[in-house]
Amino acid sequence: MVDFSLDAATRERLEQLRQLGAALLRPAGLEADRAGEPLPPEHPLFARLVQLGVGRTRWKPAGADPAEAGEQAVSNGATGPSLTGVCTAEEMAYWDRGVVVAFPGPGLGEPPILSMGSEEQKQRFLGPFRQLDRPRWGAFAMTEPGAGSDVAAIRTTARRDGREWILNGAKCFIGNASRADWIVVWATVDPAQGRAGHRAFVVERGTPGLGGFRVEKKMGLKAYESTSFTLQDCRVPAQNLLGGGGGGDRRAGFKGAMRTFNATRPIVAAMAVGIGRAALDEALGFAREQGLLERPEVRARIERIHRKLRMARLLCDRAAWLADRGRPNITEASMAKAVAPPIAFEATSLGMEILGEVAGQGDSLLEKLFRDVKAMDIVEGTGQIQRLVMARKLVGLPRE
Amino acid sequence: MTDFALDGEMELLRETARAFAAAELTPQERAHEAARQVAPSIRKRFEEVGLSGVEIPEGLGGGGLGSLARALVLEELAAGDAGAALALDPLGPALYPLLELGGEPALRELGLPLLGTSGQRAVLLWRPESALPAAGQKVSLEAPWVPTDRVDLLVVLCREGAFALREGIELERVRGSGLRTAGASALRVASAPLVGSWRGPGESRRALARARLYLAAMLVGVMRASVDFSRHYAMNRVAFGRPIAHHQALAFLLADMHAAVEGTRLLLWEAAWRCDRREAEAPVACAAAHVEAVEQAMFVTPNGIQVLGGHGFMQDHPVEKQMREARALGLLLGGADPARAEAAAAWVQRGEGSD
Repeated sequence: MVDFSLDAATRERLEQLRQLGAALLRPAGLEADRAGEPLPPEHPLFARLVQLGVGRTRWKPAGADPAEAGEQAVSNGATGPSLTGVCTAEEMAYWDRGVVVAFPGPGLGEPPILSMGSEEQKQRFLGPFRQLDRPRWGAFAMTEPGAGSDVAAIRTTARRDGREWILNGAKCFIGNASRADWIVVWATVDPAQGRAGHRAFVVERGTPGLGGFRVEKKMGLKAYESTSFTLQDCRVPAQNLLGGGGGGDRRAGFKGAMRTFNATRPIVAAMAVGIGRAALDEALGFAREQGLLERPEVRARIERIHRKLRMARLLCDRAAWLADRGRPNITEASMAKAVAPPIAFEATSLGMEILGEVAGQGDSLLEKLFRDVKAMDIVEGTGQIQRLVMARKLVGLPRE
Repeated sequence: MTDFALDGEMELLRETARAFAAAELTPQERAHEAARQVAPSIRKRFEEVGLSGVEIPEGLGGGGLGSLARALVLEELAAGDAGAALALDPLGPALYPLLELGGEPALRELGLPLLGTSGQRAVLLWRPESALPAAGQKVSLEAPWVPTDRVDLLVVLCREGAFALREGIELERVRGSGLRTAGASALRVASAPLVGSWRGPGESRRALARARLYLAAMLVGVMRASVDFSRHYAMNRVAFGRPIAHHQALAFLLADMHAAVEGTRLLLWEAAWRCDRREAEAPVACAAAHVEAVEQAMFVTPNGIQVLGGHGFMQDHPVEKQMREARALGLLLGGADPARAEAAAAWVQRGEGSD
């Protein structure tokens, strides 16, 4: 039955995040933005987050005690994990989206290991993330200088040599790469095969040939590192190939990885909503202080931002709700991802208009949000890619 | 707890309305528009399927359902033919002041006599600044356009409350832009007697909110029909060697049109859900849904024509009618501007950090 309320457990979780956000995330994000550098791995925030239980893997070895510390108990019949994820992502991004990406943990590298890895691989790579002794990161490397949205065009090669694979190529814009214990690197065994030639390797820190790390300078979201690196005759043991243990599960693994997009796209969209809400609150607070709330143009902007953000949030929630029920949500997930970031961008831009020349000073939170939010229409599939995905479903747009 | 699924009763209601619209309204829409009325046989059929009294209290012989149920039905009927949807509803949104302010006695005395297949019509006007006349007082007012050719009951909603009249209503037929199936007239009342006057600013606000939902639901229906038609057209029409829907310019446009409908419908459902729970903030959500529907309809329906190109401009296809209907619906109740102002007033008063 149609219902738009949140259960008590989720509301309580959001309240906790509000406290965490105000106390830790917002200040850390501003600190990194002012410094123009990512928060260093030894920043006390990360140790504090680990104390709070952040950064642990979802993976559990067979036979583990389900009640072990750090497990989020799923209360009976409560909000599903996707919707919870969307709500919490929105709230955390409200406080600082860049810091959220810098959070310790296996990150985007976790889903492919979970869906394609053997038990032994999960133990080896995710095991250290079960009870964290210190902040640890994993990373996921697909994007290359010449292959962004067109994933099939990656040029990093993998060549088998006995019990090892030799990787050669370059990756860019990889989150947390230089501090990661390992990086899930996508490479091709045969560029002519497109995606069918793709393989995923877990490349461990310190592997000879893995190097040339360069932390990129970004317009916004400075709190986390987006890093380029190279693989030069980088020898990776065969047991680090994911989904490589024979059997026909590689395709299933790839599909599984694609399915995770249907869960992560609404999350990224919800993060945009969170940034937009932060912009709205900043603009509203400024307008109140300056006595601008009676001005019709200010009211019109506030109304529009509020309404559009609410609509974007509903699109995110619905896509996640579908995922929680195991129902197809490709169109809805892409719709949320296509719609929310431009709305959030507009929220920051209209917010800066309300500040007027004050925003031009460049030291307001709103100005930072304006720089931060643009990335949300690019990562996890650009707005254009989302429209391609939607159009395939809606009008049978062929894959070229 | 969050749930986007309709229960069985709601689903059945929606299916019934959809089937009726497809079988009875869409095929006749040009004939009905030309005649400025719905054929009596279809009016009779509509009574038989039992969709007419969804929101009338059960005690008065209605369905006793709420705003969400009504929104589902209105979307479907308006997707079939928006003008006909109005023509088939004797009370229209005038129901809400009767329900919220007059209560069951007023509805029984003034509203119920209009029901049935006789084609009687009530009209609702939103005149926020109007003073509330006392019973026994006589009133005068004008409206340049109301989508009807007859008025059996006129209900005027103002901030302070509502009043109603049955006599002294002069109509002059006008050409009409959209919604012609329901008729089109200029209305004039000169010193006419009241049949009811009810005070209640809070109730007036709720009545207005529900009337806005009524229009928003119809707009969602019209938009959806425009997207459906243009999408199917684009998948079959070939240009430059492929269906035009497979050119990215149109594929992306259709995706955006679809997203506009879906997003607006979610805002509508949420507002209706709040209305049904009688939440204090429901009127603000209804105002927002109304604004969104009016704005998005003026994005979606012109593009429905655009997809068809020259064919869209011709009256052989429904998309030109859909654009006119959407524009006309968006003018009622003062259009989006007062709704925008109401939502803005509520939101600037709320503190930062609130949802």
